[in-house]
Amino acid sequence: MSAAVTAPAAGAPAASRGILLLLLLPGLVALVVTFLLPLLWLFRASFASSAVGTLSGGDWTSEAYTTVLFDPFYWRVAWNTLVLGFNVAVFAVILSYPIALFLARTQSRFRGVLTALAVAPLLTSSVVRTYGWMVIFGDRGVINSTLQALSLTDGVIRLTNNSLGATVALIEILMPYAILAMLSGFGRLNVQLEEAAAMLGANRLRVFTRIVLPLSLPGVLTAALLVFVLAISSFVTPRLMGGGRVFVLGTEVFNEATVTLNWPLAAALSVMLLVLFSSIILLYQRALRALEV
Amino acid sequence: MADHHVIIENLVKTYPGAQKPSVDHVSFSLPRGEMLALLGPSGCGKTTILRMIAGLIVPTSGAIRLDGRDVSSIPVYKRNMGMVFQAYALFPHMSVAENISFGLEMRKVGRAEREERVRKALDLVKLAGFGERKVSQLSGGQQQRAAIARSLVIEPELLLLDEPLSNLDAKLRDEMRDEIRDIQARTGVTAIFVTHDQDEALSMADRLAVMSAGRLEQIGTPREIFDRPQTDFVASFIGAGTFFEGKVAGPGVAAVDGLPPLRFVGEAAVGSPVRLMVRPHRLLLAGEHGQPNSFTGVVEHIVYRGQILTLSVRCGSRLLQADLPTHAGVLPQKGDQVTLTVAPEDVTLIGREAA
Ligand SMILES: Nc1ncnc2c1ncn2[C@@H]1O[C@H](COP(=O)(O)OP(=O)(O)O)[C@@H](O)[C@H]1O
Ligand SMILES: [Mg+2]
Repeated sequence: MSAAVTAPAAGAPAASRGILLLLLLPGLVALVVTFLLPLLWLFRASFASSAVGTLSGGDWTSEAYTTVLFDPFYWRVAWNTLVLGFNVAVFAVILSYPIALFLARTQSRFRGVLTALAVAPLLTSSVVRTYGWMVIFGDRGVINSTLQALSLTDGVIRLTNNSLGATVALIEILMPYAILAMLSGFGRLNVQLEEAAAMLGANRLRVFTRIVLPLSLPGVLTAALLVFVLAISSFVTPRLMGGGRVFVLGTEVFNEATVTLNWPLAAALSVMLLVLFSSIILLYQRALRALEV
Repeated sequence: MADHHVIIENLVKTYPGAQKPSVDHVSFSLPRGEMLALLGPSGCGKTTILRMIAGLIVPTSGAIRLDGRDVSSIPVYKRNMGMVFQAYALFPHMSVAENISFGLEMRKVGRAEREERVRKALDLVKLAGFGERKVSQLSGGQQQRAAIARSLVIEPELLLLDEPLSNLDAKLRDEMRDEIRDIQARTGVTAIFVTHDQDEALSMADRLAVMSAGRLEQIGTPREIFDRPQTDFVASFIGAGTFFEGKVAGPGVAAVDGLPPLRFVGEAAVGSPVRLMVRPHRLLLAGEHGQPNSFTGVVEHIVYRGQILTLSVRCGSRLLQADLPTHAGVLPQKGDQVTLTVAPEDVTLIGREAA
């Protein structure tokens, strides 16, 4: 009896499900063409035996992965990448946090202008900004020439062509993203909650540690993840600031693809980056759920 | 007055950049254990006063005394006042019990005592068993109760509530109105609440302070405010009524244009201008003409409201409003000629103390 009653009822959602699918179709097609297919091709390419093989099909070999997994050089590259991503994420988040907190809490009528200013660096390309850092950090850059003019140092302090320069430049370049991510993650912050805590006897420090900090953690985590992912996949800044002496996954993929023309290896390294991304995002989701439950 | 628990003296607040003060020389006082309602239209400065008392904003001038001691220089977190915010402001990352326990933790109360007091506070607001819930799992009314428990558990010197019922639906509002009154009476805490709703203020408060545009218009018991409004604003803001302008013609008699002489109770110099008001429920259907204070006119408009019938009666150039109980025998119809009377003691002389 119940089946007879529920059958027509179940028909309605089925029809609307059809409409839903139809509405999703353009997006799905775009995703398949621009994302899924290239990804499959990348995967296939990483198992090819030569650059030509990646296009023509041909035999399958795990040679590229053997190289990646057994050559200690690539382990070092992976490690460098993680260290760079970690350092950049930590410092970008620490430096952006007060700015984002201020922007989220201020009652000033210039809030919109200030927010726009904070993210305005995004308007220039990161290549230009990296060159800016080279002008400041270079061997004859602003810092070195000033220090020498003041006779504070004799020789040159190396700030470029090493990972220090790449890290500093990336921190600055990625800070606007950190600020934006935090602002969007600070939705639960609310001045009234701070006032309520103060009324209950919490001084400023306690209000911060017990209310503001815990409520802002989701935003902080999102920002850290975003900056980390952008940092480990970055190529231009490590390449230019590192002067070819900083080896990270991004620069290596570029090298293998354009200099050595070892496309299978470039593809395998890209897959490695992807695996790294996915694990980080999984961890992030775990952490976020733990924070909000 | 001087021995009152809370004394507010000449409180002024001018927000930076504002032309006029939002709170303008407001003074009032409140005995221990009483509940005061700050009543007034939106934007008249009620919240501003409450926040100055709480210490959340600094007064431009004036004093706030608790037991004679000026608390103006004490920072918020040391004032030991409980505040129930309009939107409750419960901490979303804490359970209900953690929310209530927060103030006790700040006071370094030991764990065992904390748990005991949280349990009692939950009992007080009828939320026993809800302690482990997340704030988001509570209904609006329950959140309200949790917020009250959180502000009472610290045994505050003074309880402040900003529009405590405005976020609840009508039925819950009536329920919480009684509940808040009851909790306040049981704990004996001195309380000040802000509202723009006159019914709320009249039914909950021991004392009522009516405000308009930053100024205190009148303070008194709900009865005094309702029956003896001292200003035009109070008279028209609280309840309905018909107003008469006239001149005092003799002791207790006013001459009003187009009406028979109006008798009232109260002192007013002969020849001086007066404003008088009659509440709709004080006007009665008269059997015969010729009684003092009787007005004959034609029913122009009728609104049936269940228990009462509201009539608008045209008397010359004037429209009188009268509320008649619907059980009172034969009810007038639209277009009927009726005679209404009002007892002289029910004619309010605006702007004078009760005689
Ligand atoms: N932070 C503020 N800055 C400037 N003006 C304010 C501020 N808060 C309130 N006001 C002004 O003060 C007046 C009184 O506000 P408020 O105390 O909130 O009124 P109420 O609670 O009675 O509705 C209003 O005119 C309002 O615009
Ligand atoms: Mg208000």
